[in-house]
Amino acid sequence: MSTVRIGVFICECGPNIKNAVDLDGLSRFARGLDNVVVAERFALLCSLEGKDTLAKEIQRHRLTRVVIAACSPKEHEHTFKQVMAQAGLNSFLLQIANIREQCAWVISDKTRATQKAQAILEAAVNRVARHEPLEIREIACLPDVVVVGAGMAGISAALTLAQKDRKVHLVEKAPCIGGKVARYEDLFPNLECASCVLDPLLDAVLHHPNIQLWTLSEVKNVLGYFGNYTVEIITKARHVDLQTCIGCGACVEVCPVSVQNEYNEGLDTRKAVYLPYPGALPNLAAIDETHCLRWQSQDCESCQQACPFGSIDYQETDRNMSLKAGAVVIATGFDLFDVTKAPQYGYGKIDNIYTALEFERLVNANGPTQGKLILKDGRVPESIVLIHCVGSRTPRYHQHCSGVCCSYLFKFAHQIRKKIPDATITSLYTDMCLPGKEAQPFSDKIAQKTGLKKIRIKDPAAVTITQDHGRPRVTYTDACDASKSVVADMVVLAPAITGTKDASSLGTLFDIPLGGSGFFVEEQTSLAPVSTPIEGVFVAGCAQGPKEIQAAVSQGQAAAGKILSQLVPGQKRALEAMTAAVDTELCSGCKICLGLCPYKAIVFDDTQQVAGIEEVLCRGCGICAATCPSGAISARHFTDAQLGAEIESLARHTGRENRS
Amino acid sequence: MAHKPKIALYWCSSCGGCEESVVDLAEDILAVAEAAEIVFWPVALDAKYDDVARLDDGAITATLINGAIRLDEHVSMARLLRKKSRLLFAHGSCAHLGGVVGLGNFFTNEEILNRVYCDVPTVNNPDRVLPRPETRQGTTVLKLTGLHDMVRSLHQVVDVDYTIPGCPPPPALVKEAVMMVLEDRLPPKGSIVADTRALCYTCPRKETRPEMLEVPSFKRVYEIEWDPEQCFLNQGVVCMGPVTRGGCMAQCIQANMPCRGCFGPVDNVRDQGAKSASLLASLMESTDEEQLKKIVETIPDPGGLFYRYSLASSIMKGRVRRRP
Repeated sequence: MSTVRIGVFICECGPNIKNAVDLDGLSRFARGLDNVVVAERFALLCSLEGKDTLAKEIQRHRLTRVVIAACSPKEHEHTFKQVMAQAGLNSFLLQIANIREQCAWVISDKTRATQKAQAILEAAVNRVARHEPLEIREIACLPDVVVVGAGMAGISAALTLAQKDRKVHLVEKAPCIGGKVARYEDLFPNLECASCVLDPLLDAVLHHPNIQLWTLSEVKNVLGYFGNYTVEIITKARHVDLQTCIGCGACVEVCPVSVQNEYNEGLDTRKAVYLPYPGALPNLAAIDETHCLRWQSQDCESCQQACPFGSIDYQETDRNMSLKAGAVVIATGFDLFDVTKAPQYGYGKIDNIYTALEFERLVNANGPTQGKLILKDGRVPESIVLIHCVGSRTPRYHQHCSGVCCSYLFKFAHQIRKKIPDATITSLYTDMCLPGKEAQPFSDKIAQKTGLKKIRIKDPAAVTITQDHGRPRVTYTDACDASKSVVADMVVLAPAITGTKDASSLGTLFDIPLGGSGFFVEEQTSLAPVSTPIEGVFVAGCAQGPKEIQAAVSQGQAAAGKILSQLVPGQKRALEAMTAAVDTELCSGCKICLGLCPYKAIVFDDTQQVAGIEEVLCRGCGICAATCPSGAISARHFTDAQLGAEIESLARHTGRENRS
Repeated sequence: MAHKPKIALYWCSSCGGCEESVVDLAEDILAVAEAAEIVFWPVALDAKYDDVARLDDGAITATLINGAIRLDEHVSMARLLRKKSRLLFAHGSCAHLGGVVGLGNFFTNEEILNRVYCDVPTVNNPDRVLPRPETRQGTTVLKLTGLHDMVRSLHQVVDVDYTIPGCPPPPALVKEAVMMVLEDRLPPKGSIVADTRALCYTCPRKETRPEMLEVPSFKRVYEIEWDPEQCFLNQGVVCMGPVTRGGCMAQCIQANMPCRGCFGPVDNVRDQGAKSASLLASLMESTDEEQLKKIVETIPDPGGLFYRYSLASSIMKGRVRRRP
């Protein structure tokens, strides 16, 4: 290491370090360390003057490495790296000795603070001597984006992203877009008509020149890395020509098959050729192969004959498509807790007990009853009970609070009162969750206007619903520990919002872990809520956690913003320089590292029988390096030699202090 | 007659297995005896300390020392042989790493002596008589060589040129070491006479090793009947293959037993035990704290398992005793 010439620059940081540490002593100490050719104190290294001096000193002393004894690297490492680069040194040949936060600010005794500063400084000097210059490489990126899920979050992301030079592939499992919200009647908090608010947005998606919509499509495989993903999708045959169909419904009328309509939550039936619900966009029919007679070996051609435009095509087959994109947004939405798993609620066994989504369809003008709020036998209900927290906030089912149910149950109360002016509306709740600037005023107004009867109960999971002369009887324990019951004509349950049933298979494809209740895990809860552990894959809306429309839209736009700032058309993306590296002469091919890499960055070379790092995927987390049983993997800039030198210096000082 | 190279063999704190590895050369040992003069080998030849002390410095071409360093006598013999030998080989795991006897570093001398001389059920020593440095009987003074506080490897006491790893080393490696000397084809100083890669590279079962290995609980060999074709780790049986230098021809694996780690770590690994811990930790099939604790409990003696051969030469070197 004869060519190693280290410069040590000690910053006074105003009075911050100067008053707490003997800086002249520290400079003298530094001059005595191996390879140090200059060690000086400066008033304020991060100032313009300081940076200028630093650059000049580097050149004057022909330094090959630099140690800066100053504040936390989080504060100014970046600043000093830039100075290094200006002075013609590789910026990785720098080490920061944090003698402010870890020393000056926490030790009041000047002698001891100086001793610790010496230890930190010596560790930095011994580490930097072992630093190696690293190259920051760049790769070309595709600006296009795949958005999975065309609900509120997905649509928001797509519309924000679709610009000049950027195409968005919007992949939707259903034949129509708009997700669950498109099937609501009114929207919280302004009680606007949902389709009036939404339709222009959906139209914008359908007619956007830069948005390619793939309905009836699902992701089958994902390959690649941030900037260069290939997303393989399968598009189910619609058997209806997208160009000529106008959604007139002539085919539907003649179809002889009748099946439960999932778009009305199974509350009525649809045909095997169908439009999901009136007003569904795109306004196109679709044939459902599972039920159409032609796929049951029968010779029906009714729909083809009835279609005035010749749009029906029985020959169409499922297509596998390969979409190329730089980034992916997962916005696959939510499902409700399956209330049949909590049999005490009597759901599915007793008539006139509905989940929130079913109720949304019941009150919807395009729903199975055309918006008439009626019981199974056609009568108008005189009493309706709303139950909060079904399957949520309990260790028995889901521990989380879905956060939106209280608000929408007030919306339901409003809708009920509007349709049935004299019905009794009772709400059974444990705690009200009405955060934000809208929910509390909204609920106060509605509670007052509707005369909603609010009953505080002990435990929603302990509510039982039994049948009483054909009507549901709801038994609960009230806040005063008294067991009570109420008989109603109709019960509406607010089940926990959970991740979708197919989230786990999607999570496996993208290698993104799922948390409790089936939501995708974000990279960092507070500060990176729409990023995932996989670079270039973002998550937005209820796929990430339960939330109201406004928040889902914000997340869709946030994910889009992240992509817009990181994937600029024509610009290259810098790769992580501090990646892992395999010494293939030492690798024993034990494969331990393969299963551990969170970024799928390790590949196994079957011919050589050794592991290798896919550098574009590696984020330099160091898991493989720490685990490699052969020490064959090193983490650049955090090698055993570098860390060992640092630790040994610190340990030696600690030993010295303990002996003294 | 041409001047024959001189060879010496010595044992320190050792079980005798390494001596066996020399005897196991069988007929080949005759060839060695033909090509070289064995000047000192207490287990087989009647040569004394003075015979060695009388030799000129560097007179012995190569000396193989097996066993760990625990007694004053070991240190003085190691130093003497170092001085008299041109090349010094650490022979076997104990000389290389401290070996199984190095596990003594988990205990104090007092604990060891009490156990061995008093508390072992088959020992009858009601007066608790323990070995002492000096025993006087009338005018006679009997002296015992000093017992050290810690077991050390040969490397920690004298400069070592080469290492033959293994507990005991396969005879083929002993032969290779001797032939290296006789045929004058010496590798760089410090080399270990074995592979540079870990055992997995030459393991006959490596094809059965999956890309994603998750172990719900670790098994000791008496607990299951394992598949003789499958990777041991894949069956939950602790195998040290990934953290152990290869070169043993996978003899234990071939005999359907998992690797116990006697060849020590590969060059880039400083502490085999720490690596073993991180290896096994990385395989545990859970992210739940409680479940992980249960999996950890399936390793009843982690210190003994991870550091079976390398405790004395590890970073911690033994149980850490806080200064009073």
